[in-house]
Amino acid sequence: MSVTKKVSDWFMERLGLNDLPFFKTPDYMYHASEWLGALVAAAFFYTVISGLILLLYYNPDQGYSSTEFIINSVPYGSVVLYSHLYGAYAMIILAYVHMFRNYFVGAYKKPRELLWIIGVLMLVLVLGASFLGYSLIGDVLATSAVDVGAGIISSIPQLTFLLPILFGNYDSGQFGRVLAWHIILVALIGLLFVFHFFMAEHYGMMPSRKVKSKAPAVYTKEEWSKFNPWWPRNFVYMFSLIFLTWGFILAIPNALAYLNGLPQQFNPFLNPKPAPSPSSPLAAHVTTYPPWFFLFVYKIADFTSDVVIFLLIGVIIPLLYLILVPFLDRTEYLHPMKRKVFLGFGILMITYLIQTTIWGDLSPGIPVPITQQIEVYLPPAIITAIGLAFFKYVKIGNNMKKAQMTPLNAILFTVIALLMAGSLIAVLNEPSILTIGIFIPLLILFFGGAKLLTPPIFKADQSAVTPSVSQESVMSLERKKKMAQVIMVILLIFAAILAGTIWTIPATGYVSNMFGVDLGLIFIMLGESISLYHYIVYKKPDEHEE
Amino acid sequence: MIKIKLGKNEKPILNPEDFYFIQKLLRTMRNPKTKFNSKEFVKKGDDYLFNYVDKNVGGIDEGRRKFLKGLVIGIGVVTVAGIIPGLKVLVPPNVSAVSAFPKSLLVDSSGSPIAASKIPVNSPIITIYEYPLTGEPNFLLNLGDSSGNPVKVPASTVTVPQTGDKYTFPGGVGPNNSIVSYSAICQHLGCKPPYIHFYPPNYVNSAQLSAPEPDTLTAQALAAAKSANVPALIHCDCHGSTYDPYHGAQPLTGPTVRPLPTTVLEWDSSTDYLYALGSIGVAIYPEGANGVPSKDPTADLGSSFGSSVGDKTEVTQPENPFTSS
Ligand code: FES
Repeated sequence: MSVTKKVSDWFMERLGLNDLPFFKTPDYMYHASEWLGALVAAAFFYTVISGLILLLYYNPDQGYSSTEFIINSVPYGSVVLYSHLYGAYAMIILAYVHMFRNYFVGAYKKPRELLWIIGVLMLVLVLGASFLGYSLIGDVLATSAVDVGAGIISSIPQLTFLLPILFGNYDSGQFGRVLAWHIILVALIGLLFVFHFFMAEHYGMMPSRKVKSKAPAVYTKEEWSKFNPWWPRNFVYMFSLIFLTWGFILAIPNALAYLNGLPQQFNPFLNPKPAPSPSSPLAAHVTTYPPWFFLFVYKIADFTSDVVIFLLIGVIIPLLYLILVPFLDRTEYLHPMKRKVFLGFGILMITYLIQTTIWGDLSPGIPVPITQQIEVYLPPAIITAIGLAFFKYVKIGNNMKKAQMTPLNAILFTVIALLMAGSLIAVLNEPSILTIGIFIPLLILFFGGAKLLTPPIFKADQSAVTPSVSQESVMSLERKKKMAQVIMVILLIFAAILAGTIWTIPATGYVSNMFGVDLGLIFIMLGESISLYHYIVYKKPDEHEE
Repeated sequence: MIKIKLGKNEKPILNPEDFYFIQKLLRTMRNPKTKFNSKEFVKKGDDYLFNYVDKNVGGIDEGRRKFLKGLVIGIGVVTVAGIIPGLKVLVPPNVSAVSAFPKSLLVDSSGSPIAASKIPVNSPIITIYEYPLTGEPNFLLNLGDSSGNPVKVPASTVTVPQTGDKYTFPGGVGPNNSIVSYSAICQHLGCKPPYIHFYPPNYVNSAQLSAPEPDTLTAQALAAAKSANVPALIHCDCHGSTYDPYHGAQPLTGPTVRPLPTTVLEWDSSTDYLYALGSIGVAIYPEGANGVPSKDPTADLGSSFGSSVGDKTEVTQPENPFTSS
């Protein structure tokens, strides 16, 4: 028995890895969209680790100057700080992707209602923790964001008691409370994560719709036991995703640190550096905007002077909807085209979120009359409604002989494709909220339609072929595996070169962010090589991607 | 290698990997958990066997798997090697050691000392160096009269309007005693260049009243220059504070209530090098109750403001604020 095998068996026995309730995975589920939750978790862990390092240096009595101190004086402090910020950004983006993906596949249905609700609560906590973390910088943008937030709270008299509880002596530069709440919220996220994770493991992955098209979408114990065991394949695959995520979190912000003088519209998204201190006169030259993930709330606040109405449309109604959707959507079908109303709401939520965010970015804090609101929000609703009303659900059977695309669907799809192309050109020519709002639902419909219509077209003739493994596909897979092996060798060489140079990068100053870029690239190479290893060792010739 | 002896000839029949594989396969076939189903095999033939082997024993031979593992472990080791220098983040930077002003040689971007006699007179280009800590800019000015000839800057007494305290400004250094240096952080609210900068004589006129930021002059600044009879000014565009560079950066107009701290220069006439020695006047950062500054300029050496520039500091010319107008 080889040494590694011995070691791995030792751990397997001691930790009882095979008895853990971690679920097994069928072959077709090794692609990223089934693992979005793992990506969010990877970003979460990175952010927690980097945050704990920052905690060694951050002084809540001197928020801004200790931020500057971390960036300028602590060895690789700016690398840790910027990647902490972008780890949180990655977590927010991935959480949205994870949530909407599960929304569209109906993963909130029985028996996963509670799992879904915990997920939504985690999203709220993540946004809250991110806002507080952002406030800790204490630059002019953070303080003005706190001012806006505090202004919203204090315009409801019953809620003003919250302000000192949340922010303490923020105005006089003491960030102790904000820091404490930041950590408390993160701890809560961690706690909910444990529940979320073990519930997800308990229910297992969403089965393929081909296998189970109706709720409850769970595999039986019997089906389950035939899948790949959690150890080692799932484990290997999971680590490739984790390291890739970490690599991007490190590489992107540290590369962005070298971009100077971005136009204001890009600053909320692409600038990891803090703005000037609010007591510096330079602050007068900064257009204030909230962190990008709150731009949409900031813009909705411009729609009405009534704070209660604003909170209703900006926060409470969307949130209630998301929490209640498992109980509103009573159908048993999982396919989005069989849940058209909810599909439509989903498309509109994404569209409105992106649209309003960009709007808040382009014209922060400028009041918007009702007519303009209608002009911006009505077209996406009409496009989505019409699009969904006409698209028919096409069942893709196993013994389909010819394409089942009706002429009407073909015409409609052509029209949508043309409209989509046209609106893309409109967006490029004249990027405005209106053009973007028209483009996004068309794009989603186009993709949805393309996905629905392509299988009948491209798979119709293949259906006669039995799914057994042909000699040829085994051969081509072997060839690909040989190539993957070559790539792994190349990656090792590159990683070694980078790791050699990384030791020479100064720990502070202008060049120090190259450390983050290089380490990020090494992590990406590590993740990629593990993914290639997974491919070579585990990929079977008869494994289809779903 | 397992071999059979046939007389003198040895005949290899099985290499160890194959042997290992067969051993493993047999064990797997016997194992009740993964029992080989002979009925299925009869029914499905080779297909079943291949699938069975692939699923339970693995299609990749041991040697190749080891090689692949080696590659992954190699990159893993490299990653750890990359993380190790990052652990420096845990070592707190030692900045509290600065207890006195360093003597810093003024150098250019290539590291060679700058020559005092080569500093242009009345240059409109912002010329600064960091001292005593990183991030703290100071002006380096060679003052002249309105026709561009260097003028001797005499010692003078400076009054701090805020407190009434007085101190002596030592005057200019260099071949013509015309080179002076002041903190470039406005004593009002801390604006830095380009919002605060030097206005040579040809820019102290009414045309500058309507110039765009950062080189607008206020009418009060112009009037104050006239009445103080100085050809050139240091002016802050943030809120209009004006300082007199010929008299220790004494305030000419508010809102500032403190002169700019003077950075003491030493000129070595044998080499023509310039050194920064320290700071006099008030501390750069107002401290204490009501923003009254400490009388001790070394209060500025606190570690929370930055780290010492050391024995050299670089003179830079980040921009000419006037080219745009
Ligand atoms: S900061 Fe210079 S005048 Fe106000």
